[in-house]
Amino acid sequence: MMKTFYAYLASLFVALTLSGCTSSHFSDLFSSYHQQMQKVKHAQQQGHYVQALSLLPEKYDFDTNYNLHLLEKGRLSYLSKEYLVSEKDFEQAYQLIQKENNKAKYQLSKGVENAQAIISNDNATRYDVPAYEQSMLHSYQSLNYLNQHNLSAALVEVRRANLVQENALKNNKNELYQYQQQLQQQGVTQQHWANSFPSMDNAIGNIKNGFQNAFTFYLSALLYEAAGQSNDAYIDYKKALEITPENQFIQQDVWRLANQLQMSNDVALMKARFSPTPLLRQKAISEKTGQIVVIFERGIVNNKTEFSLNLPIYTSHHDMRFYSVAIPTYQNVLTHYSPAAVSFKEQRYLAQELVRIQSLAAKQLKDDMPIIVARQIARLITKEEIRQQLSRKNGDVGNILASLYNIATEHADTRSWSTLPDSISISQLSVPTGKQTIAIHINGVTKEVPVLVKANRKTLITMTAIGHNTDYQIINL
Amino acid sequence: MNKLIAFSTIALTLTVTTACTNKSVIRYGDATAVETTDINFASTDLQKVASQMTDSLLVSPVVGTLTANTRPVIFVEGIKNKTSEHIDTESITDSISTKLLRSGKFRFVDMGRVTAAREQIQFQQTGGMVDTNKAVQFGQQIGAQYMLYGNLASIVKSNKDQSDVYYKFTMRLMDLQSGLVEWADETEIRKTKQKEFVSW
Repeated sequence: MMKTFYAYLASLFVALTLSGCTSSHFSDLFSSYHQQMQKVKHAQQQGHYVQALSLLPEKYDFDTNYNLHLLEKGRLSYLSKEYLVSEKDFEQAYQLIQKENNKAKYQLSKGVENAQAIISNDNATRYDVPAYEQSMLHSYQSLNYLNQHNLSAALVEVRRANLVQENALKNNKNELYQYQQQLQQQGVTQQHWANSFPSMDNAIGNIKNGFQNAFTFYLSALLYEAAGQSNDAYIDYKKALEITPENQFIQQDVWRLANQLQMSNDVALMKARFSPTPLLRQKAISEKTGQIVVIFERGIVNNKTEFSLNLPIYTSHHDMRFYSVAIPTYQNVLTHYSPAAVSFKEQRYLAQELVRIQSLAAKQLKDDMPIIVARQIARLITKEEIRQQLSRKNGDVGNILASLYNIATEHADTRSWSTLPDSISISQLSVPTGKQTIAIHINGVTKEVPVLVKANRKTLITMTAIGHNTDYQIINL
Repeated sequence: MNKLIAFSTIALTLTVTTACTNKSVIRYGDATAVETTDINFASTDLQKVASQMTDSLLVSPVVGTLTANTRPVIFVEGIKNKTSEHIDTESITDSISTKLLRSGKFRFVDMGRVTAAREQIQFQQTGGMVDTNKAVQFGQQIGAQYMLYGNLASIVKSNKDQSDVYYKFTMRLMDLQSGLVEWADETEIRKTKQKEFVSW
C-alpha cells in the first residue's frame, strides 16, 4: 500500500506550506544554503556588491532564515556604501534576535519546526544567530552610524556588542555539558565521533572560544576615546589585549591610557609583561599630532560545506549498524594574506591581526557539534523507521521511494553569515595635524590616501580588500 | 507513523485557528497611561523621569532663592545616552524644559536653533525686504546663566527566565559664572520581565 507513503509526504507538504507558505521554504530543504549563496559570493569576490545584493535569494519574514538573509543584505549594503539601507537591515535583524531571546522558555512552534526537521533536515529549524555573528552585526551597525556622523548611536551599538559577548560567556558552559550528556545517552561517546569527524583545528588556530572578538572591543574602545570616556576605552582596550596579547598597537594603547589614567598597578604589570622598549619608544601625543587608525578587512569567510560521517548507532533491535549522516564542516585551512601596511614619510607600519572570523566560525561550529550530531541521530532513527515500515508494507517500491526521499533531504545545515570578512587587522600611526597623505599597501597595490588629521583626535580609515578589489572609507572621530 | 500524522494535524489546526481569527483594531488611548509593551525604555519612563526631575528642581530650596526676584536663563546642554538602547534623549530634555518654562520661574535659550535664528536676523539685516529701523539687531540676545545637563545610564541583565533593566537618570544645573553645581538629582527605574513559560 502506497497510502502510508503518500500520507507521509502529504503531511510533510502541508506542514511546510502552512508554516512557510512559499516555495523558498521548500528549496531550503532540498538545496543547502551554501549552494544558494554561491552566486552571491562569486559576485562579492569580484567586487560587484550591488549585483551580489540582487542575487541574494528572496526570503520573507516567515522563512526560517530570514534573520540570516537580513544579515547578508546588511553586510552587502554596507560594502556598497548604502549605510542607511544597511542600518535598516541590521536593525531589523537585531529586532528579530531580540524577539527570539524574549520568547517563552518553551515554544510550541519550535516543536513543530523540530518535528519538520526530524522528517527532513535541520534547515527546517529557525536559524539561531551565533554570538560572534551578533557581535559583528553590532560592529557594522556601529560603523553605519559613524558613517552617518552619529557617534552616540554608534556607542549604543558597541555597548550592545559587549552585552552579547558577556551573555555568550555566561551561557557557554551549561549548554555544552547538556548536549554531551544527551549524546552519551544515545550511546555515542565523544571519542566515537570526534575521531571520524573532519578536523578543523587548523582553521580554529589557538582561540579559546567562538565568541570573543577583539575587533568589537577595539572598535568600542576607539569610540569611547572619541567620546572622551578614557576609562571605558581603557577597559575595552584591555579586553581586546586579553584576546590578542601579541598585538603591539593595542599594547601601546593600553600603555598610553594606563599612564594617562594613572593606573599604577597596571603600569607596573605591563612593564614586567611586555618588553618596555617598543612601548616607551612611542611618542607622547602632543597637541600638534593626531592619530590615524586603519582597519583592514580582508577576504570573505568560507562557507560551511557538507561532510558525510559514518556513525555507529544502536537500532531498536539492539544491533549496532553504521549509518552515514551529513554534517556541516569548514575547510581546515586558513587563507594566508600578504602583510598589509601603512606608510608615512618613509616609516612603514605593518598591520597586525585583530581577529580571524573564520576561526571564530569554525570554533563555534566545533562547539555546536554535539548538538548537531545528537539531532542527526534522532533524525536518522526516525527516517530509518519510516523506511522499514514502508518497505514492509509496499515492498521494494516503498523502500526505494523512502530511500530516495531520505537521500534528497539528507542535507547538512550549512547556514552561516557568509559575506563577513575573513580577517580583520589594524595599523595605527601618529602624524602631524592638517592635510596629510598616507600610503596604504595591500595585496601588492599601493594606494595614496589623503586624510585630514585633527589635533589629538583619531581618524579612522576602514579598508576593505576582497579579491583584487580595495576600497576605503574615512571617518573623523 | 500515525502518531506523526496526528501530530501534524494538531499543529496545522493550531496554526490555522491562530492565524485566521486576528483582526486589527485602532483606538485612541490615554497618553499618560502606563505602557508595558516591552521592557525597553518607554513613554512611561520618559514621563516619570521628566516629571520627577522638574518637581525636584522646582521645590529645591536653592532654586527657590535663585528664582526669588529674577527668572534665570537656562540652556539645555543635553543628556548623554549611556544605555544600550537608541533613546531620543532630546525628547526628555524637551519635556523637562517645557515643564520648567510652564512653571514661569525660568527662561530658556535654545541652542538647537541658533543657526536658524542667525539666518533670520541676517535676512532682516541684509535681505533688503525688512525695514532696517525695525529689523532685529545682532548682539542683543541674552546669554544663559545656567546650564542643564545629565546622564542616562542602564544596566541590563537577562537569562532564560527573566530580563532585568535598571535605568539611572542624573541631572544637574550648573552656574556658568561660578562653575558651581547648584542643583542635582537622580531618579531610578527598574523593570523586570518574567518570560512566559510556554507560548506558541
